[in-house]
Amino acid sequence: MTELDSLLPLAALQIDQPAFLASVGMAFGGRDEGHALVLQQCTLAFRAAEGESGSERAVAEDHTMTGNDTRLRIGMQGISDDARIAGVASQGRHLAISRHLAHRNAADDIVDTTAEGFAHDPIIGHRLENAMPVRTRRAKRARTRGRPAPRVLPCARIEGMSPEHVEEMYDAIIVGAGAAGLSAALGLLRSPAIQTARENGAEPKILVISKLQPLRSHTGSAEGGIAASLGNVEHDDWHWHYYDTVKGGDWLVDQDAAQVLAQYAPETVINLERSGAAFSRTADGHIAQRRFGGHTADFGHAPIRRAAYSADRVGHQILFALWQQCVANGVEFAEEWVVTDLVLNESKGAVRGIVAFDTHTGDVHALHARTVLLATGGAGRLFHTTTNSWDLTGDGMALVLEAGLQLEDMEFIQFHPTGLAHSGILLSEAVRSEGGVLRNARGEAFMQHYAPEHGDLAARDVVSRAIIDQVEQGLGVPDPKDPDGPHDCVWLDMTGIPTEHMQQSLPQVLETIRTYADLDPSRDYVPIKPTAHYTMGGIPISLDGEVYRWHEGTRGIVQGLYAAGECSCVSVHGANRLGGNSLLDACLFGNRAGAAIARKITQPITGEGDAAISDAFVNAEANNANEDLVSVSAERRRADVQQLLSQSVNSSDSRDGLLSGHNAEINTANEATDAGTTAMPSDSHDSDDNSTNNSADNLDDNPYELMSELGEAMERALAVRCDAHSIATARTWLRNVASSRAQALRSHASAAAFNQELTAIWEARHLTTLADVVLRASDARHESRGSLYRTDFTERDDEHYLAHSMTAADEDVLWQPVHILDMPPQARTY
Amino acid sequence: MSGIGNATATVTIRVKRFAPRPERPNRHASSALRKSASPFGSTRKRPRGKQWSQEYTLRIHPHDTVLDCLLTIKRTLDPTLAFRYSCGHGMCGSDAVAVNGTPTLLCTARVSDYAKQLPHNAHNDGFRRTATVNASAAAHDFATSNGSAIEATENASTNSASAIDVNAAESTAASTQSAPDLGIIELAPLPGFPVQRDLIADIDPMLDQIKRLQPYLQADGKLATTREGKVDVFEYLQKPEQLAKYELLSNCIACGVCEGSCPVFAGGEAFIGPAALVMASRFLNDSRDNAAQQRLDAIDTADGIAACQSVRACGRQCPRGIDVGEEMWQLTTAVRER
Repeated sequence: MTELDSLLPLAALQIDQPAFLASVGMAFGGRDEGHALVLQQCTLAFRAAEGESGSERAVAEDHTMTGNDTRLRIGMQGISDDARIAGVASQGRHLAISRHLAHRNAADDIVDTTAEGFAHDPIIGHRLENAMPVRTRRAKRARTRGRPAPRVLPCARIEGMSPEHVEEMYDAIIVGAGAAGLSAALGLLRSPAIQTARENGAEPKILVISKLQPLRSHTGSAEGGIAASLGNVEHDDWHWHYYDTVKGGDWLVDQDAAQVLAQYAPETVINLERSGAAFSRTADGHIAQRRFGGHTADFGHAPIRRAAYSADRVGHQILFALWQQCVANGVEFAEEWVVTDLVLNESKGAVRGIVAFDTHTGDVHALHARTVLLATGGAGRLFHTTTNSWDLTGDGMALVLEAGLQLEDMEFIQFHPTGLAHSGILLSEAVRSEGGVLRNARGEAFMQHYAPEHGDLAARDVVSRAIIDQVEQGLGVPDPKDPDGPHDCVWLDMTGIPTEHMQQSLPQVLETIRTYADLDPSRDYVPIKPTAHYTMGGIPISLDGEVYRWHEGTRGIVQGLYAAGECSCVSVHGANRLGGNSLLDACLFGNRAGAAIARKITQPITGEGDAAISDAFVNAEANNANEDLVSVSAERRRADVQQLLSQSVNSSDSRDGLLSGHNAEINTANEATDAGTTAMPSDSHDSDDNSTNNSADNLDDNPYELMSELGEAMERALAVRCDAHSIATARTWLRNVASSRAQALRSHASAAAFNQELTAIWEARHLTTLADVVLRASDARHESRGSLYRTDFTERDDEHYLAHSMTAADEDVLWQPVHILDMPPQARTY
Repeated sequence: MSGIGNATATVTIRVKRFAPRPERPNRHASSALRKSASPFGSTRKRPRGKQWSQEYTLRIHPHDTVLDCLLTIKRTLDPTLAFRYSCGHGMCGSDAVAVNGTPTLLCTARVSDYAKQLPHNAHNDGFRRTATVNASAAAHDFATSNGSAIEATENASTNSASAIDVNAAESTAASTQSAPDLGIIELAPLPGFPVQRDLIADIDPMLDQIKRLQPYLQADGKLATTREGKVDVFEYLQKPEQLAKYELLSNCIACGVCEGSCPVFAGGEAFIGPAALVMASRFLNDSRDNAAQQRLDAIDTADGIAACQSVRACGRQCPRGIDVGEEMWQLTTAVRER
């Protein structure tokens, strides 16, 4: 058989030490060539339970580990210290890792591949190492738990590729772990094709890479609701939702996509509920629904309760439910990895893989993949005042631009009318849905003048423009925190909402207002102003999430490349997104993209319909190693990292020198803090840092400062309204100042591990790349539509601009006609 | 409220920093064998590196959050300072650190609530600072060295609202150069977790522990599909009063503040930790879930609920307002009465 059989019983022998915590380190690896068996080095950490009560558990079914399968493809994550596993060891005196277990990623099985562990129990580790068959060699180690262990390549594809050349190959890589990314992972794993394959023991190799830990994704901040014509509160019809979506998007919506959105919305919401999301309920136990701006009954006749909600934390509920289901399905994550490059083949017709930077180690990884899905979220950080988290820097969009592809409709950026003044923090539309009223400096409920029928619940762009209009008429109010500041806010009056009801239905909003404005909304008016909220445009995708390039009047699919969520544009939002449709878009089209990927990767590689993929392998990866574009990109990125670190400015030298010169090195985090603190000459350092006023002199440029200035420039140019002049001003600054500054940025620390500034430098570059495309797309559209309001072209112009802008980094803007099925453009009035 | 005006003040942020030493290349081999195994089973190697304390003084609005301060530091003083942050308003849970020793979120900690006057150069390590004596001593130190008003600084440590008012008054009296000084805020990484760099702690142990308890709804598992515009399966029914039993628990954002507050959790392996148990309790109390028995079994272990010593420190700073300690007690009872 294999090495496994000779090794693992030995491990079990050592583990079986009741009442002690025994840890076993193993370092071995190697390949059984016939079966592509690679075991990564791992740490087995075990704890025998008191009295071995763990053996009473139903471990036999789940955890008994016998009968090694020689086709083992180890995706071993490590071993937990769960008593139940110790129970197994004592029951059978054998711990062999069966295929069954190896394929389970659930963390209660085996979860630890730290290399650190080896050092901890040298005696056992030593024996194990000695016990290794001679021909095994140490494999490249998996770094830490939860990080992907390098995987085995299927035999069919490993031939001709030397492992040192190809670090990893995946069936699917999902970039981003918010609603769209996680929905895609689930859509993929829940699809019939994959379930069948899994039952037959073929595990698809899927990796979800995210810049953040998945539970930190910005989906969790979505407050108000997710729209679906469930009809739980009042009669509803998906056709009405479809109509509202098209109208809300000012007829720039692709109607085939909007039909899918509206038709599959109930299924999407129900499946989120069935995945565990805790929606608010009606008295009879159904999912409760509330009104949301722009959602109407009977094609615009009256507002309707369509948004399913969860108090005002629906995003949190959805994010956690999706993550929980991913845990149940054994999804593998690479957390806090930054994807730096998207690699296509030379004709830009197929995806090859990505390059990712592990922020924990500072390593650059070349990751080959048959399919890549981008789900990186929006680009709110283009603007200074935004509801978006600090991480929404348009990374996926910028990757696509840098790979030479286009973005669609980037000129449409939604400004949410009710951002808490000057912080930009979102106060959900639910506030107005529950009875909140916008008032100007005179206390007038001004929305009645702008949208008599819908009032405060008119579509977001209408409300945002109304607010700006009031401010320009001199009816704005200052932020009470800064009473001498500009009068650029209006009041949100929540005093009409009964306090108890407010507490029940808007707890998050209440807390935000109390914490960040120090106001009591049951008594005080709350200052609000429009804040950048959502990018309607993005990476152009088909209904199955496939990324395409608009070329000579047709959509040319990029084989294997997918996108979903806010970073994508299937064009259901058109020129303006309705509230409640963003979570829906992310979950629904994420799920569809996942299912499409499943169909793709279960096709045989050499299948005739998949010429592009097999070509990719034959031409580059297999035959000609020099053309492995992923590795080439990775090498280039490694050089970039080196450059960013090594040229790391004078101040870094002085700074690092200062610190290391005065600080005793200590071995552990928990002792000798005294040495660290006192050795620091705090006086000299204080005098250094106290000079906050002329800090710019002390410190050269850095990405945080650049991003801040970029946000202000973009806000001046585009926030809520723009014209040719404002756009030109920003483009000039971008071209003459920002671009060169972005390229000149260097890290101030010389280490790559946990160097947040490196990430920020790439983010700043992404934002500058993206900003130019947004400005150019805005400039090209000589009309006002939806969220784009041009003061020099105030009317909608269907004759020329009933079309999607398609903008690549260095090409002219192209126009793609809108898909119109059964709803010809009408006036958009509320 | 309006009395705050445009007042600014200065505050000093003292950060416990840490830089890992690059890993030595030959770490698998001989050096490992020299160390003896610990009978207590700690398999986590402490990170090696250098540690120091660094102070940044900056001008802020007393109402700003500590996160605002750190972002200003990153932008204007020291781009190398590392700390996790994302949404900036208490929803994402990334920025749990110890503020003045108390685990909490950077983005919900207001400067005026945490700034305190401390002796500038006295490091009484090993001794807990007591409020009365040191506070005035500190205030005195500051008054002499910085020229700030004692009453302002003392107020800052006791009553934020009045401190702001005093500071506002001071700022008019003082020259434009010297804004009132609010004192110092000490930041350290979240306790109970290994530090990775500066304020970034490795919270993977918590996530692993959460995952061990099968943190997902276990019901019939059927999913809806759509045919001709109609779904074939509806949502699970759940009355509002059934939702109320776990709704608060489901708001947990896994920030780790409860874990950092728990004296038993410190060190990691003896206790699965309150965060994992809150998540388990969330499903135990969810009327849709039908794995209650297995869930109770899973937490009825030596390192499970039995390891909770009912210290109840866990719930004090929960940013979601979960009474974690009470929840632990409910679990203890549930397991016992099973």
